[in-house]
Amino acid sequence: MTSFLIGAFLATLISALFTTRLYGLILWYSLNSLSLALLAISIGFKIDDNTMIISGFLTLIVKSIVIPYILKKVSMKFGLARQITPNVPVYYSIMLIPALLVFTFYLAEPITNMMSSNANYVAISISALFLSLLLIIEHKNIAAKIIGFLTIENSLFLLGTTATNGMPMLVELGIFFDLLMAIVIINLLFKSEELS
Amino acid sequence: MIFLLMLPALIMLVFSFWDINKSKYLFPITSLLILIPSVRLFFLPKPYALWGDYLVIDNLSAYIMLVSSIVAICVTLAVSTLDLHVKISKSENAKFYRFFAIFWIGLTVSILANNMGVYWIGLETATLSTVYMIKTNQTLAAKKEAWNYMIVGAIAISLILFGIILIYASAKPILGENAMSFSALLRSAKDIKSPFLFEIGFAITTLGMFIKMGFFPMNLWLANIERASFYPIAALFSGILESAVIVGFFRFSKIASVINHQHVFIFVFIYTTLTIFIVSFLIYRAKDFMRLFSLSGVEHMAIIALFWASGGIFPALLHFGAHAFLKPALFLSTGILESKGKYRIAGALKGYSGVKGKVFYFLTGLFLLAIVSVPPSPMFFSELYGFGAMINIAKVNKHLLLMIGAIIVLLGLLSIIFYKFVEIYQSMKYEGEEKQKVVYGNEVFALVIFALSLVFLLTPWSFEFLRSIS
Repeated sequence: MTSFLIGAFLATLISALFTTRLYGLILWYSLNSLSLALLAISIGFKIDDNTMIISGFLTLIVKSIVIPYILKKVSMKFGLARQITPNVPVYYSIMLIPALLVFTFYLAEPITNMMSSNANYVAISISALFLSLLLIIEHKNIAAKIIGFLTIENSLFLLGTTATNGMPMLVELGIFFDLLMAIVIINLLFKSEELS
Repeated sequence: MIFLLMLPALIMLVFSFWDINKSKYLFPITSLLILIPSVRLFFLPKPYALWGDYLVIDNLSAYIMLVSSIVAICVTLAVSTLDLHVKISKSENAKFYRFFAIFWIGLTVSILANNMGVYWIGLETATLSTVYMIKTNQTLAAKKEAWNYMIVGAIAISLILFGIILIYASAKPILGENAMSFSALLRSAKDIKSPFLFEIGFAITTLGMFIKMGFFPMNLWLANIERASFYPIAALFSGILESAVIVGFFRFSKIASVINHQHVFIFVFIYTTLTIFIVSFLIYRAKDFMRLFSLSGVEHMAIIALFWASGGIFPALLHFGAHAFLKPALFLSTGILESKGKYRIAGALKGYSGVKGKVFYFLTGLFLLAIVSVPPSPMFFSELYGFGAMINIAKVNKHLLLMIGAIIVLLGLLSIIFYKFVEIYQSMKYEGEEKQKVVYGNEVFALVIFALSLVFLLTPWSFEFLRSIS
């Protein structure tokens, strides 16, 4: 189950990299967050960690429902461009993404060697981080960059879940709070741009 | 105590929703309240648990808190006449205070944090609140830079979190959830089973913090942001936000030094030298005050990190305090010099008459020379002690000749910066036309506070206190 969910996490992220439509990108982000939430819940039940189960449910509500909903509302409200063609052409991405995955597995080897459990998952988290950075780089559109920032946060959550079996509850809550604050700031930035 | 520390920010937050014309005079008084708990921190037994093991006061956090409080007070004082120098709407002015309050809460949390996660949360809150502060300037450049800051800041802060997770993963097998605590990590650093994982985490966290401070290779983003935003924001960035970042570096590097001090020193030495090398030439080519001071801020943060990693805790903290007072003072002075967007370096210091004008003229000149370490600037002493610390570490590692060579190169680079600042000072004083200019009482008062703080930094009491932190 865990392997399937990690695979789903990576697959949704890769799909997001090929997306040329904004709503599509928001949907892939939502599915990415959903797989992350289910992963946290399943690992939480497996190791009997209530903190991780709560974090998983919070992820489910905040990241896979609330944030995508707000982002879609914001993009509709401010009439953001829905066509978001990546700067990197698809045929290059097809080569670049697997290369990046292999490279990060190789790069993360010294780190994964240190891990007593979930070594491959840690490597996947690090490659997800690089793919999220690619998402930021390959788009000029600011909305796509925001999704890139949010997927970085998802990758870090995955790393926290797999490498450490979950961060302390207070830290998890703080990260959620900051994420929501980031969404409020993004909304305000769009709003002030519209007013001016 | 925690309530007292947050109270001024909460008052500011509430009053920012009222009529700004009335409340803007209340904000400087409110910000003065910050000083009361900040001074009280010095008289508490150390370490003092403010909120369990999450927020703990030690001498380092008390010192940084006091320095940041003084900067915050002076910036709030100067902001009350911001609308007389630049075009800013009432609502944007109110939003500045609103986000300043949130910024202060985030900053207090990160400075006092004894927990890596809590430190990160505070830093992220402070970073996000500054994004909108940049946008209070309604120009196209400011809009672009606000988004840029959002993205670059997010990447930097994500790297910090990435490193924190690795550090936590390395220490969790021996410390459990306590592996998040700075003090617990410091106590048990030697027992960590995977020091390599810890060091990788430290390197990534440091990289994130260095990007946030505008180090190599991200040298220009901070300068662009400070140029595009209003001058009090640049003052907050250089005087307070960078303090919150560097305090994290202090804490992380202290733990990493217990594991392997040589690795920390080599990593920081190469990184900071490279940064100073690039920045010195960028400063040489700078054509306006804001970029000049911003790039100089990067140079000084690199010097602080270098001194700290060399084991020169006292010079690093002295340099840190001097920079935290001097740079915001210079940014505020720049805002006045560039009033209504008209700025020319030639003759910038001419045309200030009356007592206020003359004090402003005198202090700005003094700050400009003090930032390039002209004695008796605290920076002169900190650099003397700092280079001494580098020599000492080289003696221990038996790389004395190499270190002397490196110090000569560093001094060469610093002399480029010195030359540029002296050239600018002369141009401001002796060249250009003389036109009548205005400076307001609150602004001069803010600069006087900065000057007095700098003098206080040179007293034996301050030296003794800073040495006690080591």
